[in-house]
Amino acid sequence: MFNYTFHWNQALRALPQMLDGAVVTLQVAVLSMVIGVACAIALTVFRLSGSRILGGIAATWVEVARNTPALFQIYMAHFGLGNFGIHLSPYTALLVGIAFNNAGYLAENFRGALKAIPDTQARAGRSLGMTSLQAFRLIVLPQMLRVAFLPATNQMVWAILMTSLGVTVGMNTDLAGITQELNARSFRTFEFFALAAVIYYLIAKAVTLAARAFAWRMFRY
Amino acid sequence: MKTSVLAFGLVAATALTSPAHADKLDDIIASGTLRCAVVLDFPPMGSRDENNEPIGFDVDYCNDLAKALGVTAEIVETPFPERIPALMSGRVDVGVASTSDTLERAKTVGMTVPYFAFEMAVTANEKSGIKSFEDMKGKVVGATAGTYEAIALENQVKAWGEGEFRPYQTQADVFLALSQGQLDATVSTSTVAQSNVKGGKFPGISVVDKAPFDIDYVALFTNREEYGFLDYLNLFVNQQVRTGRYAELYEKWVGGEAPSLAVNGVYR
Repeated sequence: MFNYTFHWNQALRALPQMLDGAVVTLQVAVLSMVIGVACAIALTVFRLSGSRILGGIAATWVEVARNTPALFQIYMAHFGLGNFGIHLSPYTALLVGIAFNNAGYLAENFRGALKAIPDTQARAGRSLGMTSLQAFRLIVLPQMLRVAFLPATNQMVWAILMTSLGVTVGMNTDLAGITQELNARSFRTFEFFALAAVIYYLIAKAVTLAARAFAWRMFRY
Repeated sequence: MKTSVLAFGLVAATALTSPAHADKLDDIIASGTLRCAVVLDFPPMGSRDENNEPIGFDVDYCNDLAKALGVTAEIVETPFPERIPALMSGRVDVGVASTSDTLERAKTVGMTVPYFAFEMAVTANEKSGIKSFEDMKGKVVGATAGTYEAIALENQVKAWGEGEFRPYQTQADVFLALSQGQLDATVSTSTVAQSNVKGGKFPGISVVDKAPFDIDYVALFTNREEYGFLDYLNLFVNQQVRTGRYAELYEKWVGGEAPSLAVNGVYR
C-alpha cells in the first residue's frame, strides 16, 4: 500500500540547510535550559521561603507546566499573549514556552534533590558562622545541583525535541521548520522527515553523552 | 471429471487473483468508495458548516467525481502539510485539495490538468498602514506554510532583503496572527481573503491590493504511476467545464465569472 520511491539524493542535497536548522534548534534548547534552571532555582527558593504568595506562584507554575501539553504552552506564548497585544516573535515564543515547561519540571526535580540533602548539612554550616543564605548557597545548592544534574539532562533532551513544536507558531529557522518547508516545496515528505529524525537523534544522543562525561569529571570521588 | 474440476479450480483461481492486477481506478469502483483528501481550513474551497459537516467547492467537486464513478464519496480532512503522507500511506485515493501544480511536486505525485485558478490578494492589518503590495517591503508578513503564495512571498521577502516572513500551519492561524497584529500583512488567494474579511471572525483587517504573483493553477493529484486514474481525472475536469458544472460551482462558492483554466498558446 505504501506507494513511494525514495529520492535520497534530493534530500541529501538539502542537508547543509537542515544542519543550519539543527544549530538553531540546539541554540533554543540550550537557552531554554539556562533560563529554565534559573527559574527553577527561583521557584525552589519560593517554595522554601514560607511565604504563601511566593509558594502559591511556584505551585501554580509547576502545576500548569507539568500538566498541560507543551504545544499549548508555546501556542499560548504566541497567540494567547498576542490577544492582549503582547507580541512575541516565533523564536521568542518558542523559547518562552519551552523555558516555562523546563522550569516546571526542573523545580520538581530540584525539590526531590533537596530532600536528599539532610538538614544537618545546613545546620553544620550555620554552626560555622554562616548566615542561612550563605549555608544554602554554598552548601545546599551545590549538592542539590549535583543530585539533580543527570535527571536534568532528560529535560535537556526533551527541550531539544520540544523545539519541533515551533512550526505551530510560524518558526521556520529551526530544524523542524526547515524540514517542513522543504517538504512543502517538493512533497518528498518521508526522505526529509527521516533525515530530520536522524539529526534529532544524533543531537539528543550527543547531549546525553556529553552530560554523562561532564558528570563523570565533576562528581566522582 | 477430474480434469474439469482442475479446470474449474484454475478458472476460479484466475478470477480471484485478477484483482491484483487492477489499478486504482478499478480498486475504487470495486470498493464502492472514493476517498478524497480535502483541506477544510480553506474557505470557500473547504470548511465546515454549523453542523460540522464539510462544505465547499472541493467538497462538491469530490462528490461530483464520486457520482461520475458511481461510488460514495468520503471526505478525509487533511491539513495542507499532510496531503502527501495521506496519499502515500493509502488513506486517500485522490487529493481534491487546491494543490498548486508545481514542477517540483510533480516529481512526487501525478497532477491532472488545472481544475481551479486562484488570483492572489494582499490582506493587511488596518493599523499597519499597508495600502499596496509594495508597502509590504520591510514588514512582518506571513502565509500558510507550503502553499504557492507562501513560497512566492518568502522569495519576495528574500528579494527585498528586509522584513520578515512567517509560515503558519493553518490559514486560520495566519488570519488570527494578522488580526492580532503579529503580522502586518498576508498574501492569500483572493477567495480566502474575501471570505475571511467578510466572515467577521478576524476584526481589523482588509483586502488592500492584488499581489503580482502568477495565477495559481491547482490540480487534482493521485499516485504518479496511476495513468488510468489520471486519465479519468483529466477527462472529468474537462467534462466539469464542458457541462457548465465548473461555472455553476464557482458561482455557488465564489461568485462572479469563473476564471479560465486554459493557458494561451499551450497544448495542455
